[in-house]
Amino acid sequence: MLVYVLKRVGSSLVLLAFISILIFVALRLLPGDPTTFSLAQGDGVSPEALEKMRRELGLDQPVFVQYWNWISGVVVGNFGFSYFSDFPVGLLIAQRLPATVTLAGAALALAIVIAVPVAVVPLWLRSVWLERITNVFVALGLATPVFVIGILLVLFFANFLNLFTGSGYVAFTDDPAAALGFLVLPAVTLALAIAPQLVRYLQGSIRGVAEATFVRTARGKGIGWGRTVSNHIVPNALLPALTSLGITVGSLLGGSVVVEVVFAWPGVGQLVVDAVVKRDYAVIQTIVLLAASAFVVVTLIVDLLYGVLDPRLRVSTSQARAPRSGDTSVIKEASV
Amino acid sequence: MDKPVLQVRELRIGLRDDSAVNLVHGVNFDIARGERVGLVGESGSGKSLLSLSIMGLQPTAIEVRSGSIRVSDHEVVGQNEKYLDTLRGRTMSMIYQDPMSSLNPVRSVGNQIVEAIRAHDSGSRAVARRVAIDLLGSVGVRDPHRTVDNYPHEFSGGMRQRVMIAMAISCEPKLLLADEPTTALDVTTQAKIIELLDDLVDQRGMSVIFVTHDIALAASFCSRIDVMREGEIVETQPTAKLVAAPRHPYTNALLAAICTFDTDPNRPLLSPIVDTGTEGGNSA
Amino acid sequence: MTTLKVGSTRSLLRAVYDQPSVIVSLATIFFIALISAFSPLLFPNPDEIDASNRLLPPSPEHWFGTDELGRELVARMAHAGQLTLVIALGAMALSIILGVLWGMLAGSHGWIEEVLMRTADAIMAVPMILFALVFVAAFGSSPEVLIVILGILKAPLVARVTRASTMVELASDYARGLAVIGLSKGRILFAEILPNVFPVIVAVATLNIASAIMIEAALSFIGLGVQPPLASWGTLLKIGYSLIYQAWWYALIPAIAITIVIAAFNDVGKWLERYLDRRVA
Repeated sequence: MLVYVLKRVGSSLVLLAFISILIFVALRLLPGDPTTFSLAQGDGVSPEALEKMRRELGLDQPVFVQYWNWISGVVVGNFGFSYFSDFPVGLLIAQRLPATVTLAGAALALAIVIAVPVAVVPLWLRSVWLERITNVFVALGLATPVFVIGILLVLFFANFLNLFTGSGYVAFTDDPAAALGFLVLPAVTLALAIAPQLVRYLQGSIRGVAEATFVRTARGKGIGWGRTVSNHIVPNALLPALTSLGITVGSLLGGSVVVEVVFAWPGVGQLVVDAVVKRDYAVIQTIVLLAASAFVVVTLIVDLLYGVLDPRLRVSTSQARAPRSGDTSVIKEASV
Repeated sequence: MDKPVLQVRELRIGLRDDSAVNLVHGVNFDIARGERVGLVGESGSGKSLLSLSIMGLQPTAIEVRSGSIRVSDHEVVGQNEKYLDTLRGRTMSMIYQDPMSSLNPVRSVGNQIVEAIRAHDSGSRAVARRVAIDLLGSVGVRDPHRTVDNYPHEFSGGMRQRVMIAMAISCEPKLLLADEPTTALDVTTQAKIIELLDDLVDQRGMSVIFVTHDIALAASFCSRIDVMREGEIVETQPTAKLVAAPRHPYTNALLAAICTFDTDPNRPLLSPIVDTGTEGGNSA
Repeated sequence: MTTLKVGSTRSLLRAVYDQPSVIVSLATIFFIALISAFSPLLFPNPDEIDASNRLLPPSPEHWFGTDELGRELVARMAHAGQLTLVIALGAMALSIILGVLWGMLAGSHGWIEEVLMRTADAIMAVPMILFALVFVAAFGSSPEVLIVILGILKAPLVARVTRASTMVELASDYARGLAVIGLSKGRILFAEILPNVFPVIVAVATLNIASAIMIEAALSFIGLGVQPPLASWGTLLKIGYSLIYQAWWYALIPAIAITIVIAAFNDVGKWLERYLDRRVA
């Protein structure tokens, strides 16, 4: 058991190392470095000033030295300095993190609240046409880009109904009521973008469980279909669906980048977009690495948890496994 | 005269999507009160389908095409789930082949028995729990006060099957369907379970359909044996007569295939069956 | 001798009957592709500025209304559609070429498989937008660059599918037989295995187009994709959103167009997946 845990953790670390190298190298494939982009704005900058900047940022060193400097810092929590704002990257991210976490957290909660009934009710009512309608909506939801959802919501609520504004932010700690008002549209947008995926995963695991023999036993006791669904099918379907949590987190992070731009939400997503415009590599590589790490860590935790619970569910897991992170059939569909 | 606990008439079962494929062709039989009938046949003979259809639990791809099934004088064919639920557990009950996959892995054993009880009895949860503990005791589960809260995977195969039996008899059904209840168990456990069933069925005066591929096992438990082959009942006789003087060649072959300690190792186990049609009639 | 496992007309018709929406989706794709392809003929002057007709809502004279410079939005949309589709198709093509080579290599040579598949996992662990942004930061966002970025982004998926198929095919009796005869591994892979792997790839390719459209539109929408004076549906959407309170149609039309096209490709892709799944099974 311990061996399994160690193996899994080890392979996750290797994956993270690969990701960090990939990101680092990708940013530095083109000749030229941040100095050429930044100071080029002000022509008439002396070569000495450029050299000085290069040395300060450590850009005159060979690539693998630069990489090592960065990664050895990251491991201990030192993310280096932004190339443009003189602030440590860690501080910049920390400033923006609460906004993104609030948004993502609210969206995830909402998405679950939407997805579970949507997946379960058609099964519960055993209605074929309801299932068809659900599938149409899920397909439509998967095809609708997150920014389209945002625009439609803004059009409808802000423009026509004049209910919420299309942008704005207040920290929760300052003014909870106003903060909530600003949170509604962005969170609902992101939730609607994520929910269809969740429904698909749930439907998959439910379909797997519904065929199990213990469901037949439950029906055979005469407890009624409603109880069969709520006490036997759903509880056994939730755990396999959990294996999709890693992908869900990935989609949440990707989606929040766009949502934050749409609604001018001051989170980490906006930060990374600004950094791309300015070619602030230090910020970009750190944020992207952290985002990928979130995916890897969540997937690792879920896998280990599953391993812990596995002996108990050894029989039903083989029947009720939802798509895991390596399974591509569900994530092939377009999703940001 | 008591009405039979189970009356099956001209039952036809087939694939829902393909009317050409029939799996059970016009089966007729009756089961009287307290009677134990063995339904014997090889895989694919339709015996499991038959018993599942009586409960209305046949797979979605399968449907009952025509015929009648009357359980305790209630017609079952063509009824909706809600109606069937009033009969399931209460009037007729079933135990299944694989006790591990047939029990909900995330709920305790006691919870599942209580669920069965409270489906048909409006008593309190506490009373139902006490009944569940008693039931566990009467099926031979050790230390029922503690084990009632255990999960299925914490029991051995034989114990799980006892739990299933407890669950099935909890509402005192008139008809018990047993679908290969001992096939997944080892021989000694098998014997104990049969013994348990023997006692319980006698005590409660239940009728039993015992589905199995093992004709020797059926002979040890049932008072009457119906032999099924390819969707038809080819012979039905009281056990003693069937074993002594089987009328259908298929029955003959089944009996001949039984291995005992003094079987000649050089004798071929399977001999070709000369078909002469259905023998033995119904016991209607 | 290779056998392409595709199947009879009867099974094709049956598959269409099971999912009739695929006909609508295909028609939509063809319609939009046609309009975009012939946009220079149908709408010869998309950049014709008409300052007196700025920001007019849709009407019989101006089907999609006009933009902030008085240009016909329908003309702009048709031309922008061309760029959108070209980028998406280019990305798909690149992802297939790259991914198939990647996957076949990984599936047939054990020593390099680990590294190749780890790299694939690494790319797939990063949220797609962020991955694209990294490359945009490094290489800019001209259409050619976007094609390359999106192609690399979706290649790992193709690689995974191809590797799985390759391994299955290589283990089959006929592939082993060919090796015995003396065919080189390369020949076996390209001449015999590839044709059998291809049907599965087609489904993935279609879904990749949808994905590419979505990501390109997202990038352009946040200003980091196609840059003016070039226009894709995403850039039009960006401008439309900035004018959302004055010209609701300017944002709505590109939004609907993008969604419909993605939905159509998704639908066809899923249908292909199911149909080809049936054949293989």
